[in-house]
Amino acid sequence: MSDAPARPARTVKLNVINEPKDSYTGGKSSLCPGCGHDQISNVIIAAAWENGIEPHRIAKMSGIGCSSKTPAYYLGQSHGFNTVHGRMPSVTTGAYAVNKDLLYLGVSGDGDSASIGIGQLIHAIRRNMDMVYIVENNGVYGLTKGQYSATADVGSKKKKGKPNTTQPIDLCALAINLGCTFVARSFSGSKKQLTSLLKAAMSHKGFALIDVISPCVTFNNNDESMRSYGYVKENEITLHMADYIPHFNPVEEIEVPEGHFRDIELHDGSTIRLETISDEHDPGNAVAALTALHEAESTQKHVTGLLYFDNSKPALAEDLGIVDTPLIDVPNEELRPTKAILDELNAALLG
Amino acid sequence: MDTIANDYTINIATANGTGSQSANLILLQSLFEMGVPVSGKNLFPSNISGLPTWYIIRVSDHGYQAPGDRTHIQILVNPATWDEDLAALEPGTVVIWNENSKMEMTRDDVVSYPVPMMSLARKINPKIAKLVTNIIYVGVLAEMLGIEQGALEDAVAKQFKGKASAIELNITALGLGREYFKDNFTKEDPYVVEAREIKTPKFFIDGNEAAALGCIFGGVQMLAWYPITPSSSLAEGIINYIPQLRVDDEGNATCAVIQAEDELAAAGMVLGAGWAGGRGMTATSGPGISLMQEFIGLAYFAEIPSVFWDVNRVGPSTGLPTRTQQSDITLLYEGSHGDTQHIVLIPGTVEECFEFGWRAFDYTERFLTPVFGLSDLDLGMNRWACEGFTYPDQAMDRGKVVRDRDIFEAFEEFGRYLDVDGDGVPYRTLPGSGMDPILYRGTGHNPKGAYSEKPEDYLYLMNRLKTKIDGARDLLPAPIIREESECEVGIIYLGSMENTIQEIDDVLEATGLKVSQCRVRALPLHSGIEDFIRRHERTIVLEINRDGQLYGILRKELPNDLVTKVHSVAYSDGMPPRASIYADQILSTLKEANQ
Repeated sequence: MSDAPARPARTVKLNVINEPKDSYTGGKSSLCPGCGHDQISNVIIAAAWENGIEPHRIAKMSGIGCSSKTPAYYLGQSHGFNTVHGRMPSVTTGAYAVNKDLLYLGVSGDGDSASIGIGQLIHAIRRNMDMVYIVENNGVYGLTKGQYSATADVGSKKKKGKPNTTQPIDLCALAINLGCTFVARSFSGSKKQLTSLLKAAMSHKGFALIDVISPCVTFNNNDESMRSYGYVKENEITLHMADYIPHFNPVEEIEVPEGHFRDIELHDGSTIRLETISDEHDPGNAVAALTALHEAESTQKHVTGLLYFDNSKPALAEDLGIVDTPLIDVPNEELRPTKAILDELNAALLG
Repeated sequence: MDTIANDYTINIATANGTGSQSANLILLQSLFEMGVPVSGKNLFPSNISGLPTWYIIRVSDHGYQAPGDRTHIQILVNPATWDEDLAALEPGTVVIWNENSKMEMTRDDVVSYPVPMMSLARKINPKIAKLVTNIIYVGVLAEMLGIEQGALEDAVAKQFKGKASAIELNITALGLGREYFKDNFTKEDPYVVEAREIKTPKFFIDGNEAAALGCIFGGVQMLAWYPITPSSSLAEGIINYIPQLRVDDEGNATCAVIQAEDELAAAGMVLGAGWAGGRGMTATSGPGISLMQEFIGLAYFAEIPSVFWDVNRVGPSTGLPTRTQQSDITLLYEGSHGDTQHIVLIPGTVEECFEFGWRAFDYTERFLTPVFGLSDLDLGMNRWACEGFTYPDQAMDRGKVVRDRDIFEAFEEFGRYLDVDGDGVPYRTLPGSGMDPILYRGTGHNPKGAYSEKPEDYLYLMNRLKTKIDGARDLLPAPIIREESECEVGIIYLGSMENTIQEIDDVLEATGLKVSQCRVRALPLHSGIEDFIRRHERTIVLEINRDGQLYGILRKELPNDLVTKVHSVAYSDGMPPRASIYADQILSTLKEANQ
């Protein structure tokens, strides 16, 4: 916290609110060594620290599954809620309704989001619920020992069993079709890209989906799998290099890249800078985003980057018509009408 | 002919979606305006338009509110149920029937008043003749019974609140009905209305609206709901009152409302609000509670304040969605998998719907456990006389929530699941505070909230939860006891049976049996209930279901020596309770028990 006692000079690197990175770490992971999810946890720690967010102002939300266990491994100063399978969006929505001033950081998996919880995911997107929603997507159920999930690619084969023949659900395509206001795909092995996207998602007001391919080293990291480290590294199509420029950064410190780039301003004044790699992708164009996804799928590739972005839609809080003070800080006297009001009401009912 | 004043049942057979509800409410209100004790029950189908609907009005100086054993005055408008309705009537019943319905009067042992309702209605406005038909029969009945014109006009004014053209149209139609009876019939029946002095002014309100107001005065901060009969009007009641009672000067609300995608999501939102430190609630019915089971278990185990109102309808499954029952008692009390036990508040009157509406939030935050309001369709959707609502007699109790850092730091040891006071109820901090940040979970946890599978941690947690809920027993609404000095037979009942119990008591008393009454108002059971059973030779547990769910809870929780003194009378056919059915079953059960 910013009013904490002075720390030894320069031995520990501090962020913009004078917090060391340690303030953002969590417990020891109990996931399999090498799990993609642990890399994502590290990115969460880095992004929150670098963005200078007060750790206790973050709410860590999750459902059930390997991914949903991870909130124990980051942001130990934040409250969190490891809820029930597939229902994290509704719990987050209820919490947000009474305290809209926290940063809600949801972590889910492909089982949690694409199967049991797909309805709640869809409706949270529909409401433009103000949260970051990370899907740690590996195509299998890990905690129940390696069944295919609904995002498993056709033709992909996990360590045991037959290749998957069932059409996958592409969560990014789904989200774009639903009008989700921030849709990105990344890879747990692409630390720089993922960090920039996550920081941008944290600066976004509205529903920010980041679907992260996160290989399961135990059940789905074999050569025939389309979600193994090796496969994704060789078959990733990166739309652009993404850089995040925080709102508190002095403009003169920012390097201007050579070649084409596009700056997208986020709600808190920060910027995500997309540097063109090949054909320029316009994240404001839903059709282009869907085309990129379909083309990648047809060639058995994974396309990553900020696929779609729309800052024109109001976040849920504006739709609720509630007072600006978070409801949990509204004093009791304002929550219970007075006795005089009840007396008037009784009189009116008596006619 | 001797007259019969203020002691009869009127049955109005129409189809829904034809506007009969507003005509029936005018009839009910006009009798009420004359100071006559009266109650109305709407037996409606599960569709929007065209299926049979019956509205039953009990006029009773005794104050009986259940439908009687028979119909004294039948209004026949609906050809679809014509033959069946006619066949069911006892000889001598008055039948006011629509002559334009192309149906025939097949009974010669009834008092028949044929009225060309449609032709009369057409005279006023052919376009809306069907709607006006309903108000015509109210006019006919008003003349037949002698309902005062002033009372009728007041009732119309209340129904249409300031809509001058509607008021005028209805008054004209009532006049046509009155005139028709006067011009064409000589009164051949004994039924009349006699005005009574109004000692305490009352108004009509349904239980759902009363509960909604209670929630508003309980400081509800988040309502998440999914529409379901018969609870929707509870949620809509809150929504309707927010702009009047819960906004700041700029019109911004202090309560968020979210129409969820299903009941699971509604329950999730309630837990989210409670977790974050707000007062969250939902309103639903049995099928919704079934869907919410997983979250109910999480709320119990992770100790999240949350309020669930269940307006009980007939189950199982989709059941009879528009009929009443008390069949969700065990579903609520032991909801979700694993060992659980929940606090259930059971109002029996509209005043208690209001009171338990606000108290539910205090209990849920005090005990950090889900709290259920158990109402039913009869109480929730029918209108009941009410003297007015009583303002909460205590300030809002936000429970053991620590929001001040000085207080937090004064704790020797803080654990979200630590029993500091010995009452099983832990302290909590709120997300965003930075104090005692923990990851809440539905998995096993130690007193600090960290994941644990250790036997000692699990036992500590489960035993503490039991201590906590047990400790709530005598702090919840106590039973209402009306005791006879003989203490021969006691009747334990709950909820909307309150509206029928006096009539049951009178029927039993007519046979020479004096019974005491004990109305359960909350679960877990108050210790006074065991004492009540101990004082009586025999106790009957009376409920509107098949299996005797409350009886089952008593059998499980009472000491062995009392179990044999307790007997179950449980009956439900989907209809609102009728006194004679229950009285007969009580008598036969006692007879069997005494053999």
